Order: sequence, then C-alpha cells, then structure tokens
Amino acid sequence: MIRFENVSKVYDPNIIGLEDVNIHIERGEFCFLVGHSGSGKSTFIRLLLKEFEPTEGTITVAGRNLQRMRRSALPYHRRNLGCVFQDFKLLPNKTVADNVAYALRVTGQPVRAIRRKVPEILNLVGLGDKMNNLPDELSAGEQQRVSVARAFVNHPSLLIADEPTGNLDPDTSVGIMQLLYRINRTGTTVLMATHDREMVDKMRKRVIALEDGKVIRDEDKGLYR
Amino acid sequence: MQFKFFFNEAVNSLVRNWVMSVAAIVTVLVSMFVMGLGMILFFNFQHAIGELRNKLEVEVFIKNTASPDQIEELGDEIRAMPEIKQVIFVSKEEALARLRKNLEGHEDVLDALSGNPLPPSYEMTLRDPNQIEEVASRFYENPIIDNSPGKHDGVKSGGETSDRVLRVTSLFLIGGAGFVFLLTVASVLLISNTTRLSIFARRREVEIMRLVGATNWFIRWPFVMEGVFTGMAGAAGAAMLVLITNRFIIESVVNKMPFLPFNAEAVPLFWLVLAVIVGGTMLGSVGSGLALRRFLKI
Repeated sequence: MIRFENVSKVYDPNIIGLEDVNIHIERGEFCFLVGHSGSGKSTFIRLLLKEFEPTEGTITVAGRNLQRMRRSALPYHRRNLGCVFQDFKLLPNKTVADNVAYALRVTGQPVRAIRRKVPEILNLVGLGDKMNNLPDELSAGEQQRVSVARAFVNHPSLLIADEPTGNLDPDTSVGIMQLLYRINRTGTTVLMATHDREMVDKMRKRVIALEDGKVIRDEDKGLYR
Repeated sequence: MQFKFFFNEAVNSLVRNWVMSVAAIVTVLVSMFVMGLGMILFFNFQHAIGELRNKLEVEVFIKNTASPDQIEELGDEIRAMPEIKQVIFVSKEEALARLRKNLEGHEDVLDALSGNPLPPSYEMTLRDPNQIEEVASRFYENPIIDNSPGKHDGVKSGGETSDRVLRVTSLFLIGGAGFVFLLTVASVLLISNTTRLSIFARRREVEIMRLVGATNWFIRWPFVMEGVFTGMAGAAGAAMLVLITNRFIIESVVNKMPFLPFNAEAVPLFWLVLAVIVGGTMLGSVGSGLALRRFLKI
C-alpha cells in the first residue's frame, strides 16, 4: 500500500526531515508512527499527501509513484486517502452534515448519493442526532468523530491520522481508536502518527519509531517504549 | 459542474463580507453608469450632427460682371444636378435686404456704401449631406463665380462647421472614454481586492478542500462566481440608472431647452443596456480572475 524507498527530505537551511527511510506497509495493515516532536512524523505524512516532494528516493502509494504523478492528478490521489488531524480541520461555518458532504461534493457525487451517504456515516460514528449542529457546538471528541466520518465517507483505501487523539482526554481517545480500528477491519489501511503511549501499548499493532528523521525501530505487535 | 452548490457558496461569501461586496458593487455601478451616460451623450451628439448636416447648404456667389443669361444658365445647370434637393436664387437686392434685416438698429452703416456691393447667389440644399464637399467643388472652376484662385471664397459650404462640431465632440468623447477607463481600472482592482479578502477569509476552507481532493476549478468556481455576481449587480444598478436618466432627465432637458441638441429617442436603449451589463460582468470576472491568479496558490 505504501512504499518508501531510500526517501530523504531536507528542508531549506539544511534541516533534516527524513533520512534514508525504507518502509513497506501492506494493504489492510494498522500501523503506528511514533516519535518525539520533530522526529519526522509530520514530514512522513506530508510526503504521503504529496504536499511537497522528497529530496531523494521514491514513494509509492497504492501502486502509484508520487514523483511521477502530474499536478493535475493530485486531487484524485488525495480522494483515495482519508485524513484525520489533531486540530480536526472542520469548516466552522458549515454544519456537521455539510462538513461531511463536502468530501463527497468535491468528488462530483450526485446530490442524491450525498443525501444518502452522509446520515449513514454519521450514524456509524454515533453522531446521527448532531447532523445539523455547527462544529463549535460539539465536544472535541465529537468533532474528531466528524473528522473521521469525513475522512472515511469516500471509503478510501488508506486512512492517515496525524495525532487524532492529541487534543482528547483518554476516555474520548478510546472511542476514536475504536472507530479507527473498526475502519481498519473493513480492509482500509490505517496509518496513525501518535504520542499516545498507552494506546499504542494496548493495541499491539505494528509500530514504526522515528528519531531525527531515521527509522530506529519497526516491529509487528510492538510497544511504544 | 455543481452550479447550485457553487452559487450558494458564492452568495454566502458575498453576504458574509457584505461591506466589501457593497463597495465593489457601487464602484462597478458608478463606472458603468458613467459609461452609459457617455454613450447617451455620444448618441445624442451623433443625432445632433446628423440634424445639423441635414440643414447644410452650398452657396455660390456670382460675379457682378456676369450677364443675366449666364446666371440663368448656371441656375439650369444646378437644377439638373441629381444631388440637389432645392435651389433658391438670391438677387443683389434680396441680399441687401437680408443684410439690412440682420443689421436691424444699425442700418446707418449701409448708408456709407455707394450702391450695392453684394453679389447675387444661389443657395442649394442637398439630398445627402455627405456629398456637400463634392458638390461644392464643382463650382471652384466656374468662370462666373467669384473665386480667387486656390481659396474658393465664392463657394461656401457648411462642411467646415460640421467638421468643427465633430472635432469638438470627438475631443469630448476621448475625455469621457479616458474617465471611463480609469473607473474601469478602479472597479477591477476593487473586485480583485474583494475576491482576495474572501480568499483570505476562506484560506482554511481552501486548504481543507485541497486535502479532501478538490480539483483546482472546483475550488476556483465559487470565487469566480462571486466576482461575476458583483459585476452583474453593479451593472444592473447602472443599467437602471441609465434608463432613468434617459427617460426623465434627457426628456425634461429636451422639453425645457429645445435649442439643445438632445433627443431621448436618439439612443438605442437595448444595446446600451446590453453593453452596460456585459461590461459590468466582464469587470467582475476579470477582477476575480486577477485575484485568483495572484492569491490562490493551488
């Protein structure tokens, strides 16, 4: 699903983002990306989204080489990925339903399909009764659920979560993790960058640890350590 | 294209930044209104010049040495010309009588004259005023007409007057066009600025749109429509003002001061309104297009 080959990223005045990373993540895997702030987790994710290019190496996502992808194909690449962020990235002046519908609208889905899919996915994340609320009328955990719903409504083959529980209390975090786990069980590859030691230790999934831009550990059923 | 969705997005954004929207709409309105006024004046002047040229005459002055037979012959010659609508012969006596009438109250100056120095003349009106120069030139070589060589002061045509009027009006129109151009630039900049503000207000939204895989044009359309709507709103207002101006102001000017060369019917209103609306809409799309190119990096 994801393949990094000898990938390095150097930011402008000689700051190393990633250094010679070789990673292969299979379709359907659940994978944690751990490390301190500045260890390269965000660089890793932003390279996957093709927000910028690696300085060296090649990245393949779902069989497509990102370096050879044209700029015009980028939107279609991103539709294939679902993204969940620490700060939710919801549109503040749109209702919960409109926020989720947004992801469907950009793909040009007909209105009828949108009307059917949005309540469906919001019921799935347990927010069927908050469809017409604005994001700031919701708790942080609920907002993150909306964000997960938006990321998953297109049924992407890969779901990327950048510290999705970073702003949530432990109980709420468990709820979000369960949601991500259920999504993973439908066959979606999930890659989650996190600081949440407890969560990683509890889940016993693959753990990739980064430090100063290098992969220092990559083990199945790993711990945060 | 999901027209309804883009339409709603554009309208919402216009309403949210209503102060800037109103400012941009008013600028478009003013510039298109001034353009409309310019066009009303242009058509009125055209009309007036047409009227003026219709009244133009060619007048040829005959040498005092010419015999009555020669004068009669020239009259026949003129009457035979197909371009001539009407010919009037003005004898020496009639010429003096006219002069006396024009000098009413100061007739005594004429007493200083010995005899009658005025020449007899033919006055012609033409079917087509555009032929005036050509017809006038036919008399330049005529031996019984009082032509000093090269100057042709024995032949008078109103062509020069109408040329002068044309020159003044075209100066006026160039000035007006310059003013409209400045206003156009101002409204393009204002619309571009409005669009820029709305891009700025929605930069988070744009970022999210990109992340969920919106194509560039999906992101751009609402902004483009915002600009187009601004332009159209301003243009619609301007079109209304132009119609009102033509209907009430020009008509009342015509009624109160009939000597001014205005005529409310001289203006092809349909084309005028069309020009104003198309112009305003173009201003809107150019303005937002400029802002998109500069500020919306996708």
